[in-house]
Amino acid sequence: MNIHESGTSKGFYKAMPIPGAAVLIVLFLVPLFFTLSTAFLTEEGFSVSRILETFTSSYTIRILLFTLFQAALSTLASLMVALPGAYLLANYSFKGKRLIKALSTVPFVIPSILVVLGFVIFFGNNGFLNQFLMKIFNLSTPPIQILYTFKAIILAHTFFNFPIIMNLVSSYWEHMDLHCEMAAWTLGAKKSKTFRTITLPRLLPSIISSASLVFLFCYNSFAIILVLGGGPQYTTMEVEIYRLARMSMDTGGAAALSLLSIIITSLLLIWYNKSQKVLARTESYTLSSKRLEKRPTSTLGRLLALLYTLSSLLFILGPIISIVLRSFMASSTRSATEIFSLKWYRQLFALERGTGHMGSALEALNNSISIAALVAILTIPVALALATAIRKKGFASSTLELFGMLPMTVSSVIIGLGYFIISNRIRGGVGVGYTLVVLAHMVIAIPFALRTILPEYRKIPVSYMQSSLTLGASPMRTFFLIEVPLLKGALLTGGIFAFALSMGEINATLTLSNSAIVTLPIVMYRLIGSYNFQGACALGTILILVSTIVFVVSELAKGDSNGR
Amino acid sequence: MEVLMNKHRNVCAFLAILLVSSLLFAQGKQEVPASKANQEITVYAYDAFCGDWGPGPSIVETFEAKTGIRVKLVSSGDAIEMLIKVKSEKNNPIADVVVGISDDMAAKAYEANLFEPYASEALESIPAFLQIDGQHRLLPFDYGNFAFIVDTEKLSKEDVPTSLMELTDPKYKNKVLLIDPRTSSVGLGMLLWTIEVFGEEGYLAWWQAMKENALTIAEGWSSAYGLFTEGEAPLVLSYTTSPVYHVTYEETTRYQAVLFTDGHSTTIENVGLLSSSKNKEAAKLFIDFLLTDAQLEIATANSMYPVNSQTILPPAFDWAPKPEKSLSMEASAIEKNLDRWLTEWTKVMSR
Repeated sequence: MNIHESGTSKGFYKAMPIPGAAVLIVLFLVPLFFTLSTAFLTEEGFSVSRILETFTSSYTIRILLFTLFQAALSTLASLMVALPGAYLLANYSFKGKRLIKALSTVPFVIPSILVVLGFVIFFGNNGFLNQFLMKIFNLSTPPIQILYTFKAIILAHTFFNFPIIMNLVSSYWEHMDLHCEMAAWTLGAKKSKTFRTITLPRLLPSIISSASLVFLFCYNSFAIILVLGGGPQYTTMEVEIYRLARMSMDTGGAAALSLLSIIITSLLLIWYNKSQKVLARTESYTLSSKRLEKRPTSTLGRLLALLYTLSSLLFILGPIISIVLRSFMASSTRSATEIFSLKWYRQLFALERGTGHMGSALEALNNSISIAALVAILTIPVALALATAIRKKGFASSTLELFGMLPMTVSSVIIGLGYFIISNRIRGGVGVGYTLVVLAHMVIAIPFALRTILPEYRKIPVSYMQSSLTLGASPMRTFFLIEVPLLKGALLTGGIFAFALSMGEINATLTLSNSAIVTLPIVMYRLIGSYNFQGACALGTILILVSTIVFVVSELAKGDSNGR
Repeated sequence: MEVLMNKHRNVCAFLAILLVSSLLFAQGKQEVPASKANQEITVYAYDAFCGDWGPGPSIVETFEAKTGIRVKLVSSGDAIEMLIKVKSEKNNPIADVVVGISDDMAAKAYEANLFEPYASEALESIPAFLQIDGQHRLLPFDYGNFAFIVDTEKLSKEDVPTSLMELTDPKYKNKVLLIDPRTSSVGLGMLLWTIEVFGEEGYLAWWQAMKENALTIAEGWSSAYGLFTEGEAPLVLSYTTSPVYHVTYEETTRYQAVLFTDGHSTTIENVGLLSSSKNKEAAKLFIDFLLTDAQLEIATANSMYPVNSQTILPPAFDWAPKPEKSLSMEASAIEKNLDRWLTEWTKVMSR
């Protein structure tokens, strides 16, 4: 331990978290501090009265409880759908496996308004599913009336989030060695018991890690809850913060509410982090990926794999395909009926003059891809560097981890107000705008990348590094030749999430570039705002395509590293 | 080492020269030969106004050609964002004109004391009911009326409602798409509309009754209208002018605006001259232009009514029926009560 400690405390490791911390401080913490401080400023000057009033009001407590409740339930539902999938993906190889994994990043890149529309087009009263069932069974009313109820919120959240859990857990599972399980089987334990008492506890770090992400996502959900939930009876903290900040222009009130939100979610994060560290220490790393070669053996196993693949494909693909199909429809003639048409794609690739905002679609596509690629490339090293510092035990690293996760806990409205402060202080041309946008996207992506890298990182036995350092390698050499190669898979996954998050981001881009930079989601919003839903769907399809391609490519790269 | 340092220095020097010369070049390029060299104004407008499809770009082009004054059009979010932006720049002002403060937000604009009165001559051609500010700090440039749009393929003619009250009839159960006033300006317009029609004592009863009939209360106009065109419900809250889009670009009259006997709440979009402007004469010319020559362009691109009564509209506007009664509310009344109304509304609707 001594060697390791003295090795890691050398300048190299100490300097690692600095770039990440600097980005987070300048672009996140400082503006957040300014925004939140307004919670304490009243007409009489500094005062805690507003905070106390907000924290103790029964209305606030009620919406806080509902917000926590729906987030917990959504996380639970996502876990239930995701874990069987993670099991299949980690233990078997079968057809459609890559496709399922590739589709898992898709929900990230689609703006929530299009997810809502996709759901409506697929599950809605007039949607594909109902029309299909009505035709088959000759029904007069739509049989599936799931939208506009509480159930729809959970359904949509599960759609959005189960791929995150499935992806993170299965990639962790793939790298877990089978020795303990084999020993248990040899000693006569049944498969179910082995799973319960050995495999599941070993998987916990990755389950907790991914579930915490999902929980925070659902906690800050907005459009899905209002539209698909059916209205104001389901109000979350985010809606209330929005109302105060934007409708009532009561920044102080919004800041107070946001502060409450941040405190609650930070407490949860601290608890997660604690449990996570204890759990991960017991896990060891392996490079073997023998388990992957298995195919389902029993007929039942094969049937289950098939069933799961089909139903999850239907579940993820339903709303996505709805968006894709819509994009091929246009009513070009006098009649109102829509027919198959490539109109939007011709406009998109400037083969014909764009109607309205379609004219800026190509430029937006270029911007989106280049910004997202840059964000992914920069986020990986920055997050990895943060992870090296966070991996260790101790108060400082726990604080740093919490700090790295903080952007996820803060309402986008509050972050938006913070960006306002920055964009008014820093003035410059489009170049400055680009830089700020890339940095802001990194702030959003870092928590994700951290959540992907950390569980894997903690598995790497300290003895590897110790051996290397004892044998005379410098810390830098040890880092690049031992740690980085072992983390390749996690780094790629983190990079993809960073790419996808950046592709879908809208608020920071609008504010920080003073609207000078258009990206695909921005053009999509403008199209929808000017009645062109099909055009928006065409751009959505491009987003889906790009993220799928990027995912498949990086999966292939990952495959190579494991010698597959 | 010595050589390396030298090389380094050379590179730096080269880059510095490059930078300086490029700056000079950029400066030179921007120069305008005419006497109007210093005449540039910065205009903040909401996003949709500045988009390719919005009226902004073409108006600016015509204005620049006509006057020689350059206009820097900055797309700045929505009305609230623009107010926050201008406020935060008070010590270091950038903009001269702000385009798109709706009447709901007028009180916040007055309160912040940002705008200077300007009694443009063009106001003579603008009806009095549209001039919300007696002091002319804000001048109207277009307006619209909130209304329900009906999908005529889903609802037969005799079933189309004729008043707000009729909309609460059980036969419209799950047939209406509403919008949340806490998160959308159109939603807020509906809330004010019900207060204008039923008064403070009656509006909550209407909303209470509508809970059953609303299929959902969306967070924004875009979601609600998207659900509507997907055929989820036959009635949606929007503007009387919404059908103009469908007629112009889709050549269909399937979606029509419904006129109510109660009258229709009005939303008036305004332009204001910032008191911090350093180029007021040019800014005033731009405002005059908005209220006169640009009116047709604004009306068609924004799908709103022009304020200038001399504007001649294209035939598609026949599908945007003008209500006989336009309702509105004092900006100060909104400012005073809005928070309470929203709270009361939330209480009733979340029960």
